[in-house]
Amino acid sequence: MSFQRANVNPSMPFSAAAPGQVGNAELPEDDKAALGDSTRWFTDDAGVHVADSVFALQGMYCAACSGVIEAALQALPGVLQVEVNAASRRAKVRWNPVRVKLAQMFKAVEAAGYRAVPAQHEALRVARQRESRQALWRLFVAGFCMMQVMMLVAPAYVAAPGEIATDLEALLRWAAWVLSLPVLLFSAGPFFTGAWHALRQHRIGMDVPVALGIVITFVAGTAVTFDPTGPFGREVYLDSMTMFVTFLLAGRWLESRARARSTEALDDLLQRMPDSVERIDDAGRSETVLASRLRVGDRVRVALGQAFPGDGELIDGSTQIDEALLSGESRPVERRVGESVVGGTVNVGVPVLVRLSCVGEGTRYRQIVDLVQRALAERPQMLRTADRWAGPFLWGVLVMAALAAAAWSVIDPSRALWVAVSVLIVTCPCALSLAAPAALLSAAGALARCGVLVQRLDALETLARTDTACLDKTGTLTQDRLVLAHIGIHEGADRGAMLARAASLAALSHHPLSRALTQALPAPQGEWSAVREVAGQGIQARDAQGRLWQLGSPAWVGVQASAARPVVAFAQVSGRPEDTAIFEFDEALRADAGQALQQLHAQGVAVRLLSGDSQASVDAVARRLNISQAQGAATPEGKLGALSALQAEGHCVLMVGDGVNDGPVLARADVSFALAHGSALAQQRSDFIVLGSRLAEVPAARALAKRTVSVMRQNLLWALLYNAACVPLALAGLLPPWAAGAGMAVSSLAVVLNALRLSR
Amino acid sequence: MESLYLLLPLSVLLVLALIGVFGWAVNAGQFDDLDREGWRVLEENRSETAGTARTPFDPDQA
Amino acid sequence: MTQSIPALAAPVYSDRVVRNFALASVLWGVVGMLVGVLIAAQLTWPELNFGISWLSYGRLRPLHTNAVIFAFGGCALFASSYYVVQRTCQVSLFAEKLAMFTFWGWQAVIVAAAISLPMGYTQGKEYAELEWPIDILITVVWVAYAIVFFGTIGTRKVRHIYVANWFFGAYILAIALLHIVNSAAIPAGAMKSYSAYAGVQDAMVQWWYGHNAVGFLLTAGFLGMMYYFIPKQAERPVYSYRLSIVHFWALIFTYMWAGPHHLHYTALPDWAQSVGMVFSLVLLAPSWGGMINGVMTLSGAWHKLRDDPILKFLIVALSFYGMATFEGPMMSVKTVNALSHYTDWTVGHVHAGALGWVGLITMGSLYYMVPRMFGQTKMYSVRAIELHFWVSTIGIVLYIAAMWIAGVMQGLMWRAVNPDGTLVYSFVESVKATFPFYVVRLVGGLLYLGGMLIMSWNVVKTALNGRTVSAPIPAVAMA
Repeated sequence: MSFQRANVNPSMPFSAAAPGQVGNAELPEDDKAALGDSTRWFTDDAGVHVADSVFALQGMYCAACSGVIEAALQALPGVLQVEVNAASRRAKVRWNPVRVKLAQMFKAVEAAGYRAVPAQHEALRVARQRESRQALWRLFVAGFCMMQVMMLVAPAYVAAPGEIATDLEALLRWAAWVLSLPVLLFSAGPFFTGAWHALRQHRIGMDVPVALGIVITFVAGTAVTFDPTGPFGREVYLDSMTMFVTFLLAGRWLESRARARSTEALDDLLQRMPDSVERIDDAGRSETVLASRLRVGDRVRVALGQAFPGDGELIDGSTQIDEALLSGESRPVERRVGESVVGGTVNVGVPVLVRLSCVGEGTRYRQIVDLVQRALAERPQMLRTADRWAGPFLWGVLVMAALAAAAWSVIDPSRALWVAVSVLIVTCPCALSLAAPAALLSAAGALARCGVLVQRLDALETLARTDTACLDKTGTLTQDRLVLAHIGIHEGADRGAMLARAASLAALSHHPLSRALTQALPAPQGEWSAVREVAGQGIQARDAQGRLWQLGSPAWVGVQASAARPVVAFAQVSGRPEDTAIFEFDEALRADAGQALQQLHAQGVAVRLLSGDSQASVDAVARRLNISQAQGAATPEGKLGALSALQAEGHCVLMVGDGVNDGPVLARADVSFALAHGSALAQQRSDFIVLGSRLAEVPAARALAKRTVSVMRQNLLWALLYNAACVPLALAGLLPPWAAGAGMAVSSLAVVLNALRLSR
Repeated sequence: MESLYLLLPLSVLLVLALIGVFGWAVNAGQFDDLDREGWRVLEENRSETAGTARTPFDPDQA
Repeated sequence: MTQSIPALAAPVYSDRVVRNFALASVLWGVVGMLVGVLIAAQLTWPELNFGISWLSYGRLRPLHTNAVIFAFGGCALFASSYYVVQRTCQVSLFAEKLAMFTFWGWQAVIVAAAISLPMGYTQGKEYAELEWPIDILITVVWVAYAIVFFGTIGTRKVRHIYVANWFFGAYILAIALLHIVNSAAIPAGAMKSYSAYAGVQDAMVQWWYGHNAVGFLLTAGFLGMMYYFIPKQAERPVYSYRLSIVHFWALIFTYMWAGPHHLHYTALPDWAQSVGMVFSLVLLAPSWGGMINGVMTLSGAWHKLRDDPILKFLIVALSFYGMATFEGPMMSVKTVNALSHYTDWTVGHVHAGALGWVGLITMGSLYYMVPRMFGQTKMYSVRAIELHFWVSTIGIVLYIAAMWIAGVMQGLMWRAVNPDGTLVYSFVESVKATFPFYVVRLVGGLLYLGGMLIMSWNVVKTALNGRTVSAPIPAVAMA
């Protein structure tokens, strides 16, 4: 089953808040649109207008939390019923909108120590739940009936021939046959549907031999039930069939549980408040509306830290904007009144007023999303190894069975049929069918424990084959902050006093560079008056002695400094040359970036840097990390182009990124890793999500992938050897069906146990 | 072993009924939130004792 | 619902019937164990029947088994199932009057048994001795029981059905099925009937019933008790709720086929015996899964065992359960059974399960419920509970040790063969050799009865000191 993800609503840009956190504005009063598909409005039997809502809960780490949350909500008048499900971290609430407001309910949950938001993609989650319940039922039916069938056929195994009265034998066989029906008709359903779909597409997937095996065994078993003296002999087949189905279903069920855990974890990350924006109408009154309701020409106030809800023009206020969306560059860019802003970029300066010129479809953000969709569709197709083997294997099996039947019909016709059946059963596709999933599942579990979520299991196979790694710079190799790299203070100055003074002045500004400075310098000391911040240049103020100091860009302060990396100058206006200081910043590299790249080199993977940031900053980082190939100033299209070129050369590329502008290239790469702190778009389209944003997990995952592939090969080899050994025995008529069935079980078990080694 | 003519069909019917019951339980969400349900019996502590009319005389209260 | 609702108007649990059954259970426990002590004494000193027909061993033994299983155990199961189903569904009993009928009806069954069995009326089938009119009464009461229990579940306010209720539900339905099938009989007089089955067929049906009665009444029913009262007393949830669900399903579908192990080396066909043996062994797994689940509930809180005698009852009961469910499969292996069949080892096994598992878990559960039936949280004397625990446990150990030794000794003596093929020992010699062990067993039984008497005293004192107050049903959280 392919892994479907709901589309991101393109008209809702991402705010600066990390995924999973509440958006910065208050939700507009119980807006029906805000609640979307998380709420159903209706009139109950008493004629009261009520709402049934599902809230996603955050911060729940134990089952006992449920009672606390239920009690907190139940205490509110107007809340009619509450049911909290700890497993899915959802609360189902029936409430009366007249007597209680959404905000009150959310506050009550917060007071209890948790957080509630309207659940998004609820319909999807419910559909997934229904599927998983059905799968559990199928597995139960298969297992239960398998036990009963085994009990019913046990007498046939233990009794000597003739010891059981014929009538009784028939009764036991009939009972076993009746109980095999639910297994065939209900439990084995997915195998038949899968086989049918594959055949319709003119290919032979793994389901085809499995379905064939089930049908043949059942037919043989039915023949024995109806006609015990017939060509199938007095053999038992139905216990093998039910056992076969149970094992395979168990494998699939475990697989889907692992996938579901992954999905749920990601779901948690993506549950957030729908974005709301402050709109100013013509009379100058402001109202809070959903971002999705904005129209071209609306005037909106964009606060500090908020994302621009669409493309537009600044009509009041000049500010700095974080344009990582477009360029990947973390350095804020200056925008003045009259200049245009792009939807999705973040306002990091002062609150401004914007007139929207484009919302939803036409925005740059939307264009990037479209690019992602297209890239995904064109992604190289990956066929599972086992599926590739399935076709030839099946043909081989059928040919051998036919030959066996033909040969035996000459030698000893009474055995011809059951020999052919034994051949079909013993060439159990069990091992083949489980070989890959068992290994992949085990590996996924091991990765989950290291904090790596696997979204597409099959990507593990591809990961083992990768020979090139492309990494984004900002946010991936670097952390989202600047570190003080060099302090230049004139020799004659009092270093300690200068630093303390600079720190205290920097504390008065919100500029990212000021913030970085405050964090890096020791305790601030100084009192300031007549503080004035000049947008884009710096901050100036008078100290306790009345001297005017400036902190900001070197040009404005009047100090010489190199332009290679971000620099802040601090000097007294018209002061002595000793009273100046230069602070040079570097992007903070991730602590394990160096180690991770070293490990990748050691594994023989070529590393490249692919970034939207300026070539100068890209080169600086590349030098520090010893990366030879570094490309800067790349747009999302540019990144995609570079990737395609590599793939055209025959490389298998793995991509590590975090930003929205990485979305297309993550979708197109052979294998993609997204870091958890990054944009939801990046995470949605990646094969792996590194939860702790620890880069070192990437080479570790690749090493595990290689081990997984080797285990898969071992399993396939085992399946081959087992068949090579047993098929001749079956052909020679030396393998009765019960032994074939037992062989099936043993070979499956061996495969699963081998795979479990990966989870250590 | 004629008794088995009764007991075997009986158990077959029983098995079919049981898998039906399980199906009902799974689809009714009985197995959705198992850890929580284990805790739920400890949540309803309020109903354990009604008010006492007299304080019981108990020299052995531990 | 807010506190402004006056207490009188608040719905309350139907605890009167629970109270009645709990007190009845204690009463019949004393009676059943007294009869047990009497017949144990008779086995030791046969003249203790005083030549009176209705004091003869053959008549009193079924009185003992029926009294302890159906009167003591049965009333405790009624009490617990009614108590637990209400509180886990947060609703009062469905058809409360019908529930009261089950109480009086069941007492009528017990009294009828107490009269008819010593008078010699019996169908001759173990644990199913009661004659056909009483069988009909049992059926009627049982149908009412099912209506009340499943009706309560049907009208529940909590969506999830707690695992204990699954065990109770299975036991109710299973007993209904078993009783109806096994007690099928053709009446030939007011208190006389002939089984619908004959010969070895009857034996097969009987032991299909017998073992399933053990499996569903004595095991599933009391596991329901265990899964509620251990978490409540330990104030911790079941160790693995998931495992308890798996335990339930695994148990019910394996039990159905273990019956033949009672009939090894009889006229039952060899293959049927083999099947019974295999699946009795398979039964070990789910049983121990449940035991571990219950015991591990105390994980992280073992210190509570030191000070809380009720927990001692509950946890030690589980260890006897583990012991009995290990011993049982072992004894169902044909080679072992060849030694143990018809000896006192079987009696030892039964009583390990009955006194150790069923008895102790019942006592622990009653010690939890009884105070709450009288508006309190603790029994009148906690020290008396502690004393009861130690007295009973010593009694159990004496009992089963005596029976093990006696059983193995009997088996060995009976099979001892001279080189020329004749038996070494005559039967009476084995009986003589068993005598001292019967004395020890009697002492064990007396201790166990003594413990039960201590419990009765404690229960009476608790009842006199408290007051029967209605327990309100807490405000509903959801549907």
